[in-house]
Amino acid sequence: MTRITVLFCAEDYLADMESAIQQSCLTCALRPDRLFCDLPTSALTVFNEVKSNLVCPRNTVLFREGQPARGVFVLCEGRAKISVCSESGKRLTLRIAVPGEVLGLSAALSGSPYEVTAELLDNARVAMVKRKDLLSFLREHREACLHVVTLLSQDLHIAYDRVRSVGLGRSRRARSARAS
Amino acid sequence: MLPTRPVARNVTLGEVMLSPYGLDIIESCLTCKMRAERLFCDLPTSALQSFESIKYATAYPKGAVLFVEGQAPRGIFVLCKGRVKLSICATDGKTLILKIAEPGEVLGLSATVSGKPYELTAETIDPCQVNFVKREDFLRFLREHSDACFKVAEQLSEKYNNACHEVRSLGLSHSAGEKLAKLLLEWSSKNGEANKQEPRLKLALTHEEIAQMIGTSRETVTRLFADFKKRQIVQAKGSTLVIRNKVALKALATNN
Repeated sequence: MTRITVLFCAEDYLADMESAIQQSCLTCALRPDRLFCDLPTSALTVFNEVKSNLVCPRNTVLFREGQPARGVFVLCEGRAKISVCSESGKRLTLRIAVPGEVLGLSAALSGSPYEVTAELLDNARVAMVKRKDLLSFLREHREACLHVVTLLSQDLHIAYDRVRSVGLGRSRRARSARAS
Repeated sequence: MLPTRPVARNVTLGEVMLSPYGLDIIESCLTCKMRAERLFCDLPTSALQSFESIKYATAYPKGAVLFVEGQAPRGIFVLCKGRVKLSICATDGKTLILKIAEPGEVLGLSATVSGKPYELTAETIDPCQVNFVKREDFLRFLREHSDACFKVAEQLSEKYNNACHEVRSLGLSHSAGEKLAKLLLEWSSKNGEANKQEPRLKLALTHEEIAQMIGTSRETVTRLFADFKKRQIVQAKGSTLVIRNKVALKALATNN
């Protein structure tokens, strides 16, 4: 059974979001355009069972770097800022995640703490899957595992680009200016 | 560019043969004793047999380039023995070392999966044994063996964590001293020396290479080491470095 959780808010948008909430992945019209979601019906039915739907207002922090990995967050609607933080609290944005992306994937797979912070930039709809459920889902559904491998490869390309631009692209002064 | 020395593949399973670089080449993954300890290699027998039929066991000398950043992906390289330097390069020739890959790592993975050009350059720093698998064979292997696919996802996750760590260290550290202190503490923790009063670590890289790991110049690294030694924070004993004052080094690493 699909669970729906509203993380926070009593604002006007909530009513709209709740009425528009996509309860089932099986009937989601956006699915074919999204790499992770475009799964065979058998896998999708299982995924639908293990996910929880969340409606979150903007500025919600889905997870913080250093927290133990609870699971993954599939961004159905809305964008999220992915950033890293220094001990002194200085923050550097890695990228802006768009709908269709799966957040927290590498931490959930490796079992290590989240290596980044994900904060919503818009009011968003998110499907959350607990780590334990995700691991058994991926072991049972090869197609989903292949999609995850492709997604991780893409994430890695973006991360290496970021390493290049931070480490080689700019002067220290320009880099400092970018870190807020 | 690629001084490869393919080793004959038609050898009896388990037979160990000598390569031109003084390496004991492990010809078969099925009889490899190191397999169980390595993340990717610890596969079920059926997957391993299939991998065995598509891999090419190859030996490389020190200084060989496995692949270059920007090249179209030919396939993956499983590092069996030796170490490989992974770096990125700016258009002005400035180099940044991302990681020294250890045996058991799969190199060129994300480029091979995504079909995008290799995003790093991989150069051997020891004589190495590498198992090469062509891109199309590897993709077919992943589609057929879900265990292998899961292990690839785990390897990619580890690489992603490492890349995020690198961005954090390069983008958010204040000074070269802070970065060098962090690097030394990281190396000592990898050696299992972290809990010791005076951790020791073997400096396997030159000052130039250390500079490329923290994005600074060779001169700065030499100056910083001289400064650390003068302040009795570290002490050099040949190529071994002893961290004499861990508290001071940690304070430098956290910019206090």
